Amino acid sequence: MNFIKRGLLGITRKKGKSLILLAVIFILGNLISGAISIQQATDNVESTIKERLGTAAMLELDYEAIEAMNESEMMELEISNIDIDLIKQIGGLSYVKYYDYSMSTALGSESIESYQGEEMEEENIIWDGPSMEFTLKGINYAPVIDFEEQKGKLVDGRVFTTDEVENGSAVAIISNKLAEKNNLNVGDTLTLDNAVYDYSETGEEELIASRDVVLEIIGLFEPQSAKEDKGESSDGGMMDFMDIDYQNTVYVPNEVVSSEQRYYWEEYVKFDEDYADMLVDDDDLEYYTPIFFLNNQEDTEAFKEEVMPLLPELYLVVNASDQYESIAAPIESMSKISGYVLLVAVIATVLITGLVVLLFLRDRKRELGIYLSLGERRSRVVGQILIEVMIIGLIGISLSLFSGNFLAQGVSETMLEADHDQFEEDTIYFNEFETDLTTDDVLESYQVKLDANYIIMFYVVGLLTILVSTVIPLTYIVRLNPKKIMM
Amino acid sequence: MILEAKDLNYYYQDGENRRYILKNTSASFEKGKFYTILGQSGSGKTSFLALLSALDSPHSGTVLFNEQDIKQIGYEKYRRNNVGIIFQSYNLIPTLTAVENVLVPMSITENELPEDKKTVAYNLLDYIGIVKSKADRFVNKLSGGEQQRVAIARALATNVELILADEPTGNLDEEMEQEIIDIFKKLAHEHQKCVIVVTHSNEIALQSDQTFSLKKGVLTTDE
Ligand SMILES: Nc1ncnc2c1ncn2[C@@H]1O[C@H](COP(=O)(O)OP(=O)(O)OP(=O)(O)O)[C@@H](O)[C@H]1O
Ligand SMILES: [Mg+2]
Repeated sequence: MNFIKRGLLGITRKKGKSLILLAVIFILGNLISGAISIQQATDNVESTIKERLGTAAMLELDYEAIEAMNESEMMELEISNIDIDLIKQIGGLSYVKYYDYSMSTALGSESIESYQGEEMEEENIIWDGPSMEFTLKGINYAPVIDFEEQKGKLVDGRVFTTDEVENGSAVAIISNKLAEKNNLNVGDTLTLDNAVYDYSETGEEELIASRDVVLEIIGLFEPQSAKEDKGESSDGGMMDFMDIDYQNTVYVPNEVVSSEQRYYWEEYVKFDEDYADMLVDDDDLEYYTPIFFLNNQEDTEAFKEEVMPLLPELYLVVNASDQYESIAAPIESMSKISGYVLLVAVIATVLITGLVVLLFLRDRKRELGIYLSLGERRSRVVGQILIEVMIIGLIGISLSLFSGNFLAQGVSETMLEADHDQFEEDTIYFNEFETDLTTDDVLESYQVKLDANYIIMFYVVGLLTILVSTVIPLTYIVRLNPKKIMM
Repeated sequence: MILEAKDLNYYYQDGENRRYILKNTSASFEKGKFYTILGQSGSGKTSFLALLSALDSPHSGTVLFNEQDIKQIGYEKYRRNNVGIIFQSYNLIPTLTAVENVLVPMSITENELPEDKKTVAYNLLDYIGIVKSKADRFVNKLSGGEQQRVAIARALATNVELILADEPTGNLDEEMEQEIIDIFKKLAHEHQKCVIVVTHSNEIALQSDQTFSLKKGVLTTDE
């Protein structure tokens, strides 16, 4: 009849009280397990979505800071460009997997037609001005970063060589659709027009100068949008627009774009001399957009910290995963709520369980006094009560492990649906990173799971809570005076 | 001499005054004898017994067990290894059976006990007058006399030589009282225990080997 056996008998011989305690722990346990389930699910969403958002980082002007400026500050505002040396310096950091910087321009063509989507084939384009429906996108990273990052896929031919990039060779990679439409193949050439217009006076454009941009096709690509795999797109319009834009993109070495830009401004300046004064030097034309891909999602903060001091004033590092906060607002709010619920549930459990145990112990005062009068060590009397409470706690926690998880599933589903209804349609988060993530994706990645992580977490939190809740009643035992009870 | 009280002082603080329950009280007890401590209600008998059983400590003076200060032995240790205490209100654990109640101190004590504790417990109960069928009953389904027998068995279970009882027959009728007193006599005379019983009954005191009387904080003896 040692204290362990006494503890076990204490549970079985007082079934009514054991059941009451079990019910209390079970109910509170449901709150704790539900809150933990939701927390874990939201954590999962964060890591999956950040994973999908990728590790891209860009340098951006701090528009908020600029907007906050007053007039005089605005007058003195001088924004310097990010030069290639700085880009290369940042690209050399250990966090960076690979990087690129790019210059783009829009060109039209007389000899080839742009791709306008499958359905709109027959429609006439209403815009009758000079067409510039091709995007000449310069690259410096020869294997093409868009292909490495699965935005597009090379389906024929080859990517650039380093020599071609360095020399600014007139070679291009175009989309398969564009090639099909114009019966072009790898090895053929395509001709774009670099046309300089004057829009200034009449509103009617007037051709000032023009030259052919003749490019040899070395490869064909196809877009690799995650959305395309799903067949039907949930929001056709926007996706098609983005798709058509990409189909008409022509990849070339940066130097090709840069030389066409120079030609354009040289010709324009000849015509409009006022403008010439504004252009101080050639450097103003060398405006590159850098993009960096990091080795690891976890590196984003460290990368930011290291890069920020290197940047000119008013520049910021923007990470693709920064968008998580705006994409996952409903998830974040749920994470917050469940955090509070968890805190409240833990405190309530400590207080309520503690008081219930204390009440039961007061009922058993005589029994406890007997043990003490028989010379039992107080630590063992405490041990006996701990065994009783912890065994019931373990059962209660184990029961609520499943039911709380199940409850969390139902509750969070309802909450998410309510949240989701606030969005008119599937919102697409469209910005420079060209994410195709939608709220639907975020909500889909939200899953209340019953996995090892959750189980371990819940047992640790649950049992610790119950352990803490026995502190009050156990101090009661320590202070018991057997003489007063017994004699 | 198995137990000795030396110059015990014990008082309750009553506002500014100390109300002495025991004043320089000394007494000694031997094995094989049945002692009674006699006194009126409120005279301090229970207080004295609490000091002897280490459920309380005196303000001054010492209690010696086999010549050793029980404070040195350690009160808890003294209670679990050296003394068996019997209370007026039995103080059994209602959720346990009679035999389980007897088994409780057997796992608390550090005294050498036979391997088969359960058999020992049954035999003890049988010796005291509780048959096996009653030994397996929950104690609240036993009569008062039977419950006090279980309490006596529990006090004996740790194989101690010193038995202290505080008005053990206070809640029993005369017939039952005599049976219990007979058990105490037998324990003292046949089993060489030292039995000290607190009572306010002169009849019981007359049956004891030596009687102490407690009055106004002073302990006197008939010898
Ligand atoms: N906690 C206390 N505070 C103050 N006085 C107390 C306290 N406990 C007991 N007393 C007093 O001490 C005296 C002795 O009490 P004790 O219980 O030892 O008497 P007793 O001889 O056992 O009486 P009874 O025969 O009624 O059991 C009594 O007068 C009682 O009122
Ligand atoms: Mg008394």
